[in-house]
Amino acid sequence: MTGESEETMVRMGELSVSRTPGHVLASIGLGSCIGLVLIEAQRPLAGLAHIVLPASSSGSDAVGKFADSAVPALIEQMTAIGAMRSRLHAVLVGGAHMFALESASSLDIGRRNEQAAREALARAGLEVRAAATGGNKGRTVRVYVEEGRVTVKEPGEDHVEIFSSLQAAGALR
Amino acid sequence: MPKSYPEVQLDALRELANIGSGTAATALSSMLGRSVNISVPTALALPLADVVDAVGEPDAIVTAVVLPLVGDLDAIALLLFAPEDASVLCGLLGVDADSEVGLSALAEIGNILGSAYIRALTMMTALALEPRPPETATDMLAAIVSSVLAAGAQETDVALLLDSELTVQGAECSLSFMLAPGKDGVAEILTRLGLDG
Repeated sequence: MTGESEETMVRMGELSVSRTPGHVLASIGLGSCIGLVLIEAQRPLAGLAHIVLPASSSGSDAVGKFADSAVPALIEQMTAIGAMRSRLHAVLVGGAHMFALESASSLDIGRRNEQAAREALARAGLEVRAAATGGNKGRTVRVYVEEGRVTVKEPGEDHVEIFSSLQAAGALR
Repeated sequence: MPKSYPEVQLDALRELANIGSGTAATALSSMLGRSVNISVPTALALPLADVVDAVGEPDAIVTAVVLPLVGDLDAIALLLFAPEDASVLCGLLGVDADSEVGLSALAEIGNILGSAYIRALTMMTALALEPRPPETATDMLAAIVSSVLAAGAQETDVALLLDSELTVQGAECSLSFMLAPGKDGVAEILTRLGLDG
């Protein structure tokens, strides 16, 4: 039905937006990282950021890497390709607790990532419409630009649709 | 906050990994009663986004043993087994890889290899390091490697991984042993080797 679709990998610390129908944005194997998805439900406009850590610091200028900088950066890139800010839907995937590593610097990064992403979205006035977060399993997220669809796959499981623009449009009425 | 590492520093880190994994291989060999070969280690210093692909197929399912190291620096030792290799290794030890006992056997291998590696590291650098209890997980390679690297990614966009392959002779079985120094860890190691700045 969908034929061969072009897939863009959004790797650690990267962010990407697309307005190409048929295009898929994907992050393979999110562990403690967060896949932040923004979708404009009425039109084929979508973005994905692969967030690694909660809060930015001076040593890094990679905006996509940190929840606090990735959220405004992805919103800006979405509006730059023509999205209306007030129509953006946010979806969060990932933030798993892969290991109970005890060292203080790595204390539950997954949970802190999710919290920081939610806070940054709230500051930007965006609501989280769907989420597949927490737990201790890795997740692959795929964003289908044309249909405004988000699927999540855990190891050994099938792809599960957690968001679609059609549902979102229905829910708004 | 390095953007990359000069070749002389990577050489020193590779040599460190070589000695560390040599000691680890000896430990594995006496545990299994078979010879264990090690590859020439690689020191990967890559942009964060490129590291997972350099380690392997992002969505390949692997069994990992994670051994946090604490002390003068934070680092994580990571052992990765393909499922077939985990089975062979557990078979050599007479346990079933898919059982609770199999997972603790793999964790114990992680513990022994990690401790041997650290002993070598400690002797070369005079760093005081000790391992915390190992943990195991079976998941997508990308999920495991990225979660391990996240801890060290706060201050730098370059990830450093020292990677050695250990192959058990006559058993068609190999595993990857990696050391991922955490925040400030690489700088501290290089300082101790007299190669900072």
